Amino acid sequence: MTPPVAVTGLGVVSPFGAGVKAYWDGLAAGACAIRPATLIETEGFRCRLAAEVPDGVGGSVRRSRADRFALAAAREALDDAGVGRRERAEAALVVGAVGGGMLEAEAWYWERHRRPTRAPAVLRSTFPSSHAEALGSVLGLGGPRETCVAACSSGAAALALAADLVADGVAPLALAGGVDALTRICFMGFNALKLLDPDPCRPFDRARRGMSIGEGAAFLVLERADRARARGARVWAELAGAGMTTDAYHVTAPHPDGEGMSRAMRGALDAAGVSPSAVGYANAHGTATPQNDRIEARAIRAVFGEGRLLVSSSKSMIGHTMAAAGALEAVATVLALVRELIPPTVHLEAPDPDVAFDCVPCTAREVAVEHAISNSFGFGGQNVTLVFRRA
Amino acid sequence: MRRVAVTGVGVLTGAVAGGADAVRGLLAEGAARAGARAPGEIPASTLTALFDDDDARRLSRACQLAVGAARLAVGDAGLVPGADLGVVVGTEFGDLRSTIEFVDGYLGRGPGGLSALLFPNTVMNTMAATTAIAVRARGLSLTLNAPTVAGELAVARAASAVRAGRVEAVLAGGVDQLDPVLLEALAELGDGGDARSEGAGFVVLEPLEIARARGARILGEIVGSAWRALAARPHGVGRRAARASAIDAALGQARVAPAAVGSVQVSGAGDVARDRWERTLVERALGTHRPRVGMLAPLLGRHSGVAAVAVAAAAMDATASGAPALVNAVARGGTHVCLVVAGP
Repeated sequence: MTPPVAVTGLGVVSPFGAGVKAYWDGLAAGACAIRPATLIETEGFRCRLAAEVPDGVGGSVRRSRADRFALAAAREALDDAGVGRRERAEAALVVGAVGGGMLEAEAWYWERHRRPTRAPAVLRSTFPSSHAEALGSVLGLGGPRETCVAACSSGAAALALAADLVADGVAPLALAGGVDALTRICFMGFNALKLLDPDPCRPFDRARRGMSIGEGAAFLVLERADRARARGARVWAELAGAGMTTDAYHVTAPHPDGEGMSRAMRGALDAAGVSPSAVGYANAHGTATPQNDRIEARAIRAVFGEGRLLVSSSKSMIGHTMAAAGALEAVATVLALVRELIPPTVHLEAPDPDVAFDCVPCTAREVAVEHAISNSFGFGGQNVTLVFRRA
Repeated sequence: MRRVAVTGVGVLTGAVAGGADAVRGLLAEGAARAGARAPGEIPASTLTALFDDDDARRLSRACQLAVGAARLAVGDAGLVPGADLGVVVGTEFGDLRSTIEFVDGYLGRGPGGLSALLFPNTVMNTMAATTAIAVRARGLSLTLNAPTVAGELAVARAASAVRAGRVEAVLAGGVDQLDPVLLEALAELGDGGDARSEGAGFVVLEPLEIARARGARILGEIVGSAWRALAARPHGVGRRAARASAIDAALGQARVAPAAVGSVQVSGAGDVARDRWERTLVERALGTHRPRVGMLAPLLGRHSGVAAVAVAAAAMDATASGAPALVNAVARGGTHVCLVVAGP
């Protein structure tokens, strides 16, 4: 069992807008932010929707869109935790990222395709590690710094890695999370794979036809629980354990039995010292692709048994925010524990009989639970489960 | 806490392809070979010899580099892959060549020109994913992205996972490939100082007691590892007087005094300002002690796979001299990694 790691700060930029409050208000209300995409050209594609972050995040336009999201969410999290400049000098920073500043790099490359165009300075921010460099420099974070790319589980993997650094005593506290802005490559790629629903996604519905893409950022401040209490910090919840596994099966498809997913869930429960029966809620990866939802439900059933666990998918409201998803969903899971309210799965009208769980259709539910998990799975068979405990 | 043994190395570069013996040979010939062939693109024949038609068709070139080096490392370690094997891959650029090919499909032919097969390669973890499948590694799988120090960072992260008992064995190292569009953009941005090359390299790390129990050959031991962020603007170098906290922390973990360090592997890949910054940091951390400094860039150029060679070279150096060796790497932007490697 790993030493308790406390969550003492939350920060979010989501398709509901900037800030944790806007995010939670949207989730609690069962609102849907999936709309016609405006940032990129969608002509000729099967799906033309995305959950875009509305204007108002702020930040210099010389930074990439994703860097602006990351900075806004990270600042909110550090302020929320009451972490001052001096403490930041030793703070670890772990960022889950995939797209980096690719949206801006694409604009250059598209233009270069038409006529010779010199590389603009923003190209230096193309790769995922650029977020950590920007955050580290602006916020004065001098501890261990990492950028983790684990496809759609990147944000959750970043939290797991940061929790290790804190639990092992490598850093007294850590800022960790995930960020992704919409990119043409991501939108085109999932369209090419025919994994996008032309309508807003419907996780766990028998008529689901695929996912919706989104964007955003979320960061959490993690620190040793005893340290947090000693400094009088508000503890939102404990990140009690994490499990990370690999299917080693297929580059895009999960193992058909969900074997790697089950191992991640069991590993996280073991690390937390929590029995399956103590968990009341699972914030599912819940992408709404026909195959993934069925396999995830099978994996959850293998660990928790049939029926009892409440399961919901935040992606039904904010889309699949890629590298940010694991971190945004971790925040949703923490807030579900704190507010004693389980966010719903919206657009869920005809539950899939292969999904043997109450997926909280359409309306949030008032339930107090002691432990909750957040699942994140990614291309390459990368599985991450986080276990949160009520403070 | 467990002790971390280095039990294998696999390297696939333009200058050398093989395991520990090949690395030893490269280092022995080093002075003579440096400059004889500029480090650069790996000849197609090297890859053709390693992959059958099915693998060659299925795997992108970057993935072939990673899988090839990983197989060499697993073979060199005599490791039987299983559920507890992990993979930690460092990369600076990912599979950029596939990404560009994917985009060119769209720009040339519209939505109908997009390849569903290429799309997964646009995500940087594709090399880790294909490597995990190829060697049946079902434990921790990580891809770490960082400018110029990604391979060293991957080895440091993997060592900490072994030390904490989170994984039983792990392949750790890195991979990068050259791409004309990338080189053009780097040159236009004025970032062409480093002697870029391509390749992949991994070391196998295991708990020392498990390695001994299975009778593995032990190349060396990672007795200290740390990574920190130095104050610097993005893409810039920091103040030269900064404290090298990664070196301090790694030496502290290893319980090695600065004066006991026998040698240091530094990046020295040609970015003058960064290389000077690194040298200052090392000198500040080691005080008046001036151990021998080695650099692999003249032999291998700079890519994320070089880290594995640096670790193997440090282990061989430490074995020969009886004194621990450092592997040090600093990136523009401030990511600083230090490994302390002892002989077996």
